[in-house]
Amino acid sequence: MHSGTVVAGIVVLALIVAMGLAAPLFTDFDPTSINPVMRNKTPGAIETLRTDDGKTVEVRHWMGTDSLGRDVASRVVYGARASLLVGLSVALISVCIGLVIGLTAGYVRSLDGVIMRFMDGLMAIPAILLAIAVVSLSSAGLLAVIVAIVIPEVPRVVRLVRAVVLSVREEPYVEAAISLGTPTLPLIVRHILPNTLPPLIVQATYVCASAILIEAILSFLGVGIPSQVPTWGNIMAEGRTLFRVYPHTILYPGIFLALTVLAVNMLGDGLRDSLDPRLQRRL
Amino acid sequence: MSSVPAAGVPATSAPVLEIRDLRIALPRGGERALAVDGASLTVNAGEMVCLVGESGSGKSVIAQATMGLLPAALSPRAGSILLDGEDVLRASEERLRELRCTRMSMVFQEPMTALNPVLTCGEQIDEVLATHTSLGAAERRGRTLAIVADVGLPEAPRMIASYPHQLSGGQRQRVMIAMALVLNPRLLIADEPTTALDVTTQAQILALLRELRRAHGTGVLFITHDFGVVAEIADRVAVLRQGEVVEFGEVRALLTHPQHEYTRRLIAAVPSLKPRERSVAADAPVVLATRGLSKSYARGRWWRRGGDVVVAARDVTLSIRRGETLGIVGESGSGKSTVARCIARLVEPSTGVIALDGVDIATLGAGTLRPMRRRVQIVFQDPYRSLNPRRTVGQALIEGPMNYGQTREAALERARALMDLVKMDAAALDRFPHQFSGGQRQRICIARALAIEPDLLIADEPVSALDVSVQAQVLALLDQIRERLNLAMLFITHDLRVAAQVCDRVAVMQRGRIVESGPIADVYANPQHAYTRALIAAAPGRSWQFGKG
Repeated sequence: MHSGTVVAGIVVLALIVAMGLAAPLFTDFDPTSINPVMRNKTPGAIETLRTDDGKTVEVRHWMGTDSLGRDVASRVVYGARASLLVGLSVALISVCIGLVIGLTAGYVRSLDGVIMRFMDGLMAIPAILLAIAVVSLSSAGLLAVIVAIVIPEVPRVVRLVRAVVLSVREEPYVEAAISLGTPTLPLIVRHILPNTLPPLIVQATYVCASAILIEAILSFLGVGIPSQVPTWGNIMAEGRTLFRVYPHTILYPGIFLALTVLAVNMLGDGLRDSLDPRLQRRL
Repeated sequence: MSSVPAAGVPATSAPVLEIRDLRIALPRGGERALAVDGASLTVNAGEMVCLVGESGSGKSVIAQATMGLLPAALSPRAGSILLDGEDVLRASEERLRELRCTRMSMVFQEPMTALNPVLTCGEQIDEVLATHTSLGAAERRGRTLAIVADVGLPEAPRMIASYPHQLSGGQRQRVMIAMALVLNPRLLIADEPTTALDVTTQAQILALLRELRRAHGTGVLFITHDFGVVAEIADRVAVLRQGEVVEFGEVRALLTHPQHEYTRRLIAAVPSLKPRERSVAADAPVVLATRGLSKSYARGRWWRRGGDVVVAARDVTLSIRRGETLGIVGESGSGKSTVARCIARLVEPSTGVIALDGVDIATLGAGTLRPMRRRVQIVFQDPYRSLNPRRTVGQALIEGPMNYGQTREAALERARALMDLVKMDAAALDRFPHQFSGGQRQRICIARALAIEPDLLIADEPVSALDVSVQAQVLALLDQIRERLNLAMLFITHDLRVAAQVCDRVAVMQRGRIVESGPIADVYANPQHAYTRALIAAAPGRSWQFGKG
């Protein structure tokens, strides 16, 4: 794979994933510990800590602190975990569900109309509104947020898979396999499913990017993951009231959010180009 | 350009087009270094020069280079292309735009994609005039109507108000030709202009081109792969092999006394129109018999059923004996492929009986049909789409036998034997389809069809996508296999020459019906139906004795 965008996307993503996984190594502070003395400090503020044996240590708040005196840098670093977790699991779950439904709709012609009208109905509801409704039906939490984002994403995957299946099932090699007496399930698994994977992988990256954004929006609106678990969205939500005076509480998580979504989209665009055989064969 | 070039530019002694020692490089890592390797040819005013070659020989690259339409990846390395003495390879982009349509024009293979679907045909011809002349709207309309009438389209005002999709393929190609000739260019490049058309339409378009060239004095560079077409229209012929013009000369001399060994091979590979003689034992058992087979598609939706019904095949009755090849010939849309697909039960027949060894399979459900499927196998037209690109040749060949309970080892053993039967190396089993040429892939498809030992082999235009030399080999292979395995074969083709090579009996289809059938020699020598006569009359190069026959 010799595509610059793919490499750039992978590098940025890898750095952010590493940051999230090794979060404790990057910070000196507990992302949830409140410190009334150190409220609303600007980036670079120095806090003097007393260790157990009575010595004092100076520690720097690289990204300042929020209105409860929590270290923004450590919250941003830990926040990567929630964002990436939501992005990845939504992409994985919606692709799996969408693949099964899409293959069924595309191959079993009698079910196509029913399934697709239901999917159209789902797509007619604005994704965020649907997600808010789902979250408010249950208690706010990571699982509820993931489910709430998966539901509006599934129809998009279904439409894509169905479209690919409809064109592949007309290919002569599928007809040849039918003539060879291949039963339906092996026919789908051997001849149809593999052709849906390249566009699906690309779609998965877009779903992932959109899930990270929707999670941030939900948290920002206060219906997402509660603030004990830092996410980029809820860090920004809490910084909202003091944004004019202390912009850093929104700026830093915003930068990471934008970078991550950009990297995932770059990966998707690059993969689309390198997985598309029509573009490869071009002179 | 402010004025319209007058018709009949005084003929000079210099050729309209002179290509001198043209070399065009392929991108690095291509199958060869040069797409065009030292090609030289000339086209005189009012002359029809055919450029013949197989796919990949560089014919279209020469046309693109002449029009200044080369893809960015291809770059001219040496030589010159002189249009009326002016080198187009060194012309600026602006000058090329001026030259196109006024001095040189091109007609493409597929008129549907070459015309803009959202503009009427008249608007597209008008655009040419508006771009290159200073004529007023009324004058432009007059010229548009005149040229449309010139290319033999009836009801010119209605034609120019039509959108491309409202016209037939032949009419669309006429509109393309009208657009190309409206400014009386000195040179017309026709890149396989009749390949996408039916044989009777092809004959009309060829006649039209011949006539227009004479009337307008246009030099025509006609690109084709078909020696029948060459014999029909060419004044001079250039034979292209791998970017190299191996032979260039007057058509009669070239066809009767080809100098180059490659030309000889190409001409020998053109199938003869004379049917071969072979007799099938009259007492051989009937493998397949259809009675009253029909297939119709209802247009519209369930809430207004009974609206439009398209009948693709109507009341088709045919039979094939063991060891016999039945050909179905007809033009596109005649229903021949529908019949094949009904017999293979890839589509559900609407009514009728398909008796396979006396068992009617037309109405069998999926479960009871499955054991019968192995007795009918089908080979498709497009070898590039007939094999799953993600599965190896071996996987493709063992799929059928394993579906019917063979072990992997036994199936692989059989696959190796089959590769031998279709004259390919067993080492190919581990490779993927894209590593093979079209002809090799078609052999693999034949092997796959034979893997489960069918009684009836359906070949649906199996050689239409292949070059003429490969075509001959695949036809010979199919015939040998039918002989050796004593198969019944249903052979679908639009090409009367191909049918003559392999078929024992032939059925001619038109608009879903069989209009004539019988032993092929009788049908060809003494056609009863008007449509059969028209088909035979339209076969290009009919007056020429091609092949060994």
